[in-house]
Amino acid sequence: MAVLEVENLKTYYYLGKESVKAVDGVSFKIEAKETLGLAGESGCGKTTTAYSIMRLLPENGRIVQGTIRLGDEEITALSEEEIRYLRWRKASIIFQYAMNAFNPVLRIGAQIVEVIREKEGVSKEEARATVSDLFDEVGLEPKRQRDYPHEFSGGMLQRAIIAQSLACDPMLVIADEPVTALDVIVQNKILDLLRKLQEKYELAVLFITHDLSVVAENCHNVGIMYAGNLVEVGSAKAVFKHNLHPYTSKLIGAFPSVIGEKKRLQFIPGTPPNLLNPPAGCRFHPRCPYAQDICKEKEPMYREIKQGHYAKCHFAGELSFEVIE
Amino acid sequence: MTSVEPILEVRNLKKWFPVRSGLLSFMQEKKYVKAVDDVSFDVPRGGSIAIAGESGCGKTTLARTILRLIEPTSGSAYFEGVNISDLTREELRLLRLKMQIIFQNPFEVLDPRLTVETLVGEGLTIHKIEENEAELRRRVLAALENVRLMPAKDFARRYTHELSGGQLQRVAIARSLILEPKLIIADEPVSMLDASIRTEIMNLMEDLQEEHGLTYIFITHDLAQARYIADYIVIMYLGRLVETGPMEEVIMDPLHPYTKALVSNIPIPDPTHKRHRIMLPGETPTPIDLPPGCRFKPRCQEFGPQCKAEEPELVEVKPGRFVACYL
Repeated sequence: MAVLEVENLKTYYYLGKESVKAVDGVSFKIEAKETLGLAGESGCGKTTTAYSIMRLLPENGRIVQGTIRLGDEEITALSEEEIRYLRWRKASIIFQYAMNAFNPVLRIGAQIVEVIREKEGVSKEEARATVSDLFDEVGLEPKRQRDYPHEFSGGMLQRAIIAQSLACDPMLVIADEPVTALDVIVQNKILDLLRKLQEKYELAVLFITHDLSVVAENCHNVGIMYAGNLVEVGSAKAVFKHNLHPYTSKLIGAFPSVIGEKKRLQFIPGTPPNLLNPPAGCRFHPRCPYAQDICKEKEPMYREIKQGHYAKCHFAGELSFEVIE
Repeated sequence: MTSVEPILEVRNLKKWFPVRSGLLSFMQEKKYVKAVDDVSFDVPRGGSIAIAGESGCGKTTLARTILRLIEPTSGSAYFEGVNISDLTREELRLLRLKMQIIFQNPFEVLDPRLTVETLVGEGLTIHKIEENEAELRRRVLAALENVRLMPAKDFARRYTHELSGGQLQRVAIARSLILEPKLIIADEPVSMLDASIRTEIMNLMEDLQEEHGLTYIFITHDLAQARYIADYIVIMYLGRLVETGPMEEVIMDPLHPYTKALVSNIPIPDPTHKRHRIMLPGETPTPIDLPPGCRFKPRCQEFGPQCKAEEPELVEVKPGRFVACYL
């Protein structure tokens, strides 16, 4: 059974009478020991998806439709009290800005102890011992629990946050741009650590990033989002090598690489749509070079094209991107 | 470095920032952050060069010191043979017209209370180059068309909040371009932008280089990006230039152990491609109180005895390839 199963999730933000359709009909699942990389450009709804799962949406954000099943529980209908009980224990989140995730005037260890005591009701000493073990696990010296956040480098803070996310033994970890602010060498160390811990604790990981290169190297499955829709999901190999959606193909074509022949990179003309008033039909059609009349009128179904490889495009599987470009 | 006559020569440039550690610090030996430490390289006319390295390696300080936005501690930069550090304020002002800088975050650089027309024309007005209003307007519109913001008349009327990130960065480029510079220093010009827009700006800058005969210095932390925008690369580590040479050669066959590690760690957008990664122990230290000898030695996996004793000089090991390493 999948650890996380999201079914037709719709999350809107309300601005007065209008609504921003930030996430509009997203479905995916993640098994234990599996990483799903959710990639897309800014404003495509990656973080809103994560916050919906953690139920951390700002006041004007609401899950309007769909289900989120975490383990054996459906969490969209839970009360605030019930969801508080589940956070950290069942699902935890690693936030984007390591520098801001800790309170600068409290010792790092104390902040993690607080989480553990709140959730598990153990004594201070027991919680401290757990933090020592966790620090050891993520490659930090246990004595540095007594440090303040400013005494840590960016990479060390990221390790401390990972330690914190594991503090209550969750089954799902959501990593929201966990390495974006780090230099490449540190970045790879953190990613290796995440992979090692995932294996050891059999975690399901939802990995959110805008950087397709990081996704390619670190995720089993990949989901590509565009304007609130999940446009393609499949194994990393399938999505990168045999992509079905024109947006996926274009986005990959826009990424520079240090290997292989150097070509002029592609770009996608135009800008992503305003989600207050998204275009009718397929949301990508104004920028899509393959768009036909049907794309302007009818929203494509999100369907399985090949085993485990889904796409939301009228012509998925029929287009050949290399030939036309 | 090349047969082409260089437009900019940087010679033994140093910028040390003094560190004060406490009330009695005047009694102690003075400490410095050696942000840029004895850096020399040439920028060929019409070429483009990327200065790359991790955060804190001194790449931004280097660029600012070249422009004398920060006064160098010692050393100098020669622009078309003229020593920039000898110039008076007035001469420097004129020179800066030819050397423009584009910053990382266009959201912060552009004043939200001004229209695009004012923003783009600002350089010409401030430097009193163009005082005829009709002519000023014509030049602003031409600059906007140059950066493909069309219809230019429509964009000229807008304010920054009406533009997307990519369009803002183009306004920033137009602002520089209108002064007809010869050299543009771009400090992470695309790292704030999304992938699809990033390429658009990179391609635009490439086209402008041809159309206007520009020379570029790109400052970037992303080697993959650097590969697509520059022909030469300078790799820095803790204020020191460790390797320089033609881009493709350095990326394909890095010589300095640090460059090797850096290149091997860059993620590749292809899940089927598996490579050997060189893992460096520890993290980059602060450039205060560096150990004697090569400053990369504490993390280097290949060091020999002489690395401890003396800092290696930059030497030409193959034609066009300069490396600061004994091995």
